[in-house]
Amino acid sequence: MSRILFAASTAVAAGVAFAFLLLPLVAIFLRVPLGDLFSQLGNQVFQDALVVSLKTSLIAHVSVLLFGTPTAYLLARKRFFGRGALITLIELPLVLPPAVAGIALLAAFGRFGLLGDELDALGISIGFTQTAVVLAVAFVESPFYVRGAIAAFEGVDPDLIAAARTLGAGPWRVFGRVALPLAVGGLGAASALALARGLGEFGATIIFAGSLQGVTQTLPLAIYAQLDQDFDVALAISALFVLVGAAILVSLKVFGWARHGSISPFRFAPSSLR
Amino acid sequence: MRALAAIFALVALALPSATGAGGSFTVFAAASLTEVFPKIDKKPRYSFAGSDQLALQIRQGAPADVFASANPKYAQLLFHDGLVRKPVTFATNRLIVIVPKSNPAGLHSVYDLRRDGVKLVIGDSGVPIGSYTRQLLDAIGIKDAVLENVVSQEPDVKGIVAKVALGEADAGFVYATDAKPVASKVHKILLPDWSQPPIKYQLAMVRSTPRRVEARSFLNKVTSKRGRLLLKKAGFGLPPLKKR
Repeated sequence: MSRILFAASTAVAAGVAFAFLLLPLVAIFLRVPLGDLFSQLGNQVFQDALVVSLKTSLIAHVSVLLFGTPTAYLLARKRFFGRGALITLIELPLVLPPAVAGIALLAAFGRFGLLGDELDALGISIGFTQTAVVLAVAFVESPFYVRGAIAAFEGVDPDLIAAARTLGAGPWRVFGRVALPLAVGGLGAASALALARGLGEFGATIIFAGSLQGVTQTLPLAIYAQLDQDFDVALAISALFVLVGAAILVSLKVFGWARHGSISPFRFAPSSLR
Repeated sequence: MRALAAIFALVALALPSATGAGGSFTVFAAASLTEVFPKIDKKPRYSFAGSDQLALQIRQGAPADVFASANPKYAQLLFHDGLVRKPVTFATNRLIVIVPKSNPAGLHSVYDLRRDGVKLVIGDSGVPIGSYTRQLLDAIGIKDAVLENVVSQEPDVKGIVAKVALGEADAGFVYATDAKPVASKVHKILLPDWSQPPIKYQLAMVRSTPRRVEARSFLNKVTSKRGRLLLKKAGFGLPPLKKR
């Protein structure tokens, strides 16, 4: 009896959860016919925002990979005093409201911020430029990548690295030929999630970079700006985000990225070593 | 499906007063009235937000007794759809330009905003402050030259005030009442009377209210001598006195 009750309650809970999560997403597509939705994408506001979003996200994402990967490798392989504290610090932006991130960036890089005078002396003005958007996106998305990357590198069997060492491989070679290929699944998953988060960045961008069509207005900012002007455009961009998000998640499953790296290194290690 | 509905209903009941306001007298008012309305009358329950949002909520049956809109558009639309009684104008506002106290761009008149390299922040064309700003610039005849210096179009007036008060932008167009709270951080550049668009605040009783006496008394308080004095102190302009 209690078993049936348990099964029934979990089923109901799951039903509520699914309905709650899916209903709003489905509603976006029911509100406007799919064909009309995508004809809105010829809109100039959308196209400008798309270019701004792609450009800034790409630059931010490449920087995050470039600096985040070695950072994650270091934190995953080395045990030292204060390591836990460092990891916590890196994760901090993850739990901060984006508005706080925006204010923090202003306090650091704004015209009257911490580095304001130094930047001014160099003739650099960050506020209201695409550089500001890139900084905001990188700041908000990097914890998503670094966290996943640490887990991916930690999942690499230390024995394999030790073996490579004893066979005479230098640290660059160990990183490039052993650790990186073994962790690539986990790194890919972390990278995809970070990219998605970066594309959706809103709060830090509006506060730190402002919003100007064709310059700093990214897709999420365009959705907000269009809300009280052309709701159909806002809907169309939102629908696009749902599709892109779904595509990212599906590709994660299809390529088995999420399964790879961190969880069971043994299963994949031998084949990747060959 | 019925089980689902039942659960939703349960959840809705559990949420503290998310629906059904109970019995207290409630005023829905534009965010720019946040400071002054409780000074005029501290008894009502206030809900301050953007006028467009409040109008939307009233349409959906939110428990408001009085609606104070920062733009006649929303009050008049509700009036024509029979949701509120005839709105009255109780206050006016003006546009001003604010610049950071340090005035990095050395701006002293609205005409200086045409200069190359000035970082100007205005409202998005879809929000009232943004459309008023464009009207005013058009009236002065410097719209195109000034709009070229716009570095950001903000979704609300708070974003403009903050970016100028922080010194991030060189100048911004805001309502006169917005400059009061940041008076220590900004300088004001006043704009000529003849260029000002008509910015009116309107007050209306919600037609379905069961608390008509309280609503009537609130309306009277706002339009009374004391109400007008407090509004004036807060930086609002006043419509000419007339018998209602």
